[in-house]
Amino acid sequence: MDLPQTDILPFLLSRQNPDGGWGYNSRVSWTEPTALALLALTARREHTDSFARGSRWLRALRRSDGGWAPEQAVEESTWVTALAVLAGQADGVEWLLRETGRESTLLERVRRRLLGVKWEYGEGTVGWSWYPGTAAWAVPTAITVLALQREIRSGASGAMRKRIEEGREALLARACPDGGWNHGASRALGTDASSYPETTGVVLLALHGMKGAAIDRGIAAAKRHYEQCRAIQGRSWLALALSAHGAKPAPIRMGAVACRDAMDAAMLILAEEAIRENNAFSGVAG
Amino acid sequence: MKAGLTRREAIAGTAAGIGLAACGRPRLNKPLVSIVKAAGYGEDLSEKVRSILRNHKVAVRGKRIVLKPNLVEFDPSSAINTHPLLVAAAVEAFRSMGAASVEIAEGPGHRRNTLEMAEAAGYFGFIANFEKRFTDLNVDDVSRVKLRSPRSALKSLYLPNTALGADLLVSMPKMKTHHWVGATLSMKNFFGLVPGGVYGWPKNILHWAGIPQCIADLHAAFPRHFAIVDGIVGMEGNGPIQGKPKAVGAIVAGADMVAVDATCCHVMGIDPSRVEYLKLAETGGQTEEANVHQIGEPIRAVRADFELIKQFEHLRLKG
Repeated sequence: MDLPQTDILPFLLSRQNPDGGWGYNSRVSWTEPTALALLALTARREHTDSFARGSRWLRALRRSDGGWAPEQAVEESTWVTALAVLAGQADGVEWLLRETGRESTLLERVRRRLLGVKWEYGEGTVGWSWYPGTAAWAVPTAITVLALQREIRSGASGAMRKRIEEGREALLARACPDGGWNHGASRALGTDASSYPETTGVVLLALHGMKGAAIDRGIAAAKRHYEQCRAIQGRSWLALALSAHGAKPAPIRMGAVACRDAMDAAMLILAEEAIRENNAFSGVAG
Repeated sequence: MKAGLTRREAIAGTAAGIGLAACGRPRLNKPLVSIVKAAGYGEDLSEKVRSILRNHKVAVRGKRIVLKPNLVEFDPSSAINTHPLLVAAAVEAFRSMGAASVEIAEGPGHRRNTLEMAEAAGYFGFIANFEKRFTDLNVDDVSRVKLRSPRSALKSLYLPNTALGADLLVSMPKMKTHHWVGATLSMKNFFGLVPGGVYGWPKNILHWAGIPQCIADLHAAFPRHFAIVDGIVGMEGNGPIQGKPKAVGAIVAGADMVAVDATCCHVMGIDPSRVEYLKLAETGGQTEEANVHQIGEPIRAVRADFELIKQFEHLRLKG
């Protein structure tokens, strides 16, 4: 569905479910689109009834372990806890600080050492997984770093600073040879892998405020992807990242990209605001 | 004799029956697998698929059919994905045989922009109303499914309602080598059913729980299935993404996915009895050629040994 730019906010609001949340493609509410919709409404200063109902839905999904599940039918807390924190649910931080990728647990490190298993990338770094009990990957690590950066504003703790540093180290270790990032595997069986637009955007955004050759290569890769990427979420993450690093991206032209659902609309609003120097993710230094 | 079989297929079937009798096994227990030659994607593939469905007496009329192609990433110089012309042919074949609906569904393992990948891979261009037919399984609504007698470390999985609700789930993989399990075919293709919205991109939970074991578990979790393998052009070497295109010129199909994948392995020059997930899932010795009722082209007519990476050279079929 192609929409004129002025229609994006009403489109996003029209996709809100009766229970207050937002879904991907159906009337079932999920944490990810709800959190991004709330971030978009915050960026537009739309603290309306819609925002309040969305926040209540998100709050109600908090689990007894302190984390958030992807949707009500799922009985495990996952990476979306970081999105909930970004959308204002600060008490998810404790859950995030307890989580690491499985490969960095003591048991797994001992097992790998005994078996002589070598990783092709990210050896020894500590990031976050998509799902408990699995390995760390680029996007959940980047989103969690962004969430902790947000919360550090309201009181820096040593544990938070340490995990942010570790997370950023893990992200830098997974950069692809082309300078960008993919899902988190820069090499497979000795063969170099290429970066993706959306993951390059998310990771580079999480590295805002940093300088150096790896960041310069990342910015160059993000610019290349931004020229070619037609997917609205990919372009939006890239716009957010480039804005955060002071590289002004060109506005996203509606019609050149297709806005299909609430996630698209929320991301587009966040990108538009970032291009107007109102970046919802990079308000603080790491 | 089954209605719709060609004379050649009937002869092959009779010969297989004699072979079975000699082995003391009842012929009716042998799963049927078709090999159909197709030199290129420009051929009338819908008639070939219709012929397969007739030969296998697939109940189509009034059914909700969900086609599950393999859509991973797009590289114009490679052969990563199931070709959209074969998927379009399957849509046409099932529709013409009276299916109530024919949907297409996939949940790529690494990329989130599924529709843009599908567009780059030609799905929008070759398949009428593609977007209306398509469900991104990564963000589909889910239900928790308890795994029966799981082989993996998992007791249950959240699975997408679109796939769970299908009367017939048709696995349409690309015939490819795979750098972790040797070959990726109709059974491994079911990894794409596991929702990224719950488990992430990649679906790493399957790796930690045991890849061959999870392949067997997913196969068991979707019992109403059929397989149509795109072996017109496959992928050899460092598959499933970084390998090289391999022209085979064949479609391999059947209702018994273990038998279909084992037959594909024979075509690829891989010994299916050495492929761990096939051994885990087989229930009637399907990894042995003699235990499969193979119709259409004989394996030797389409056999094209796939280049194997060093880690999987031990899978090479002898002879």
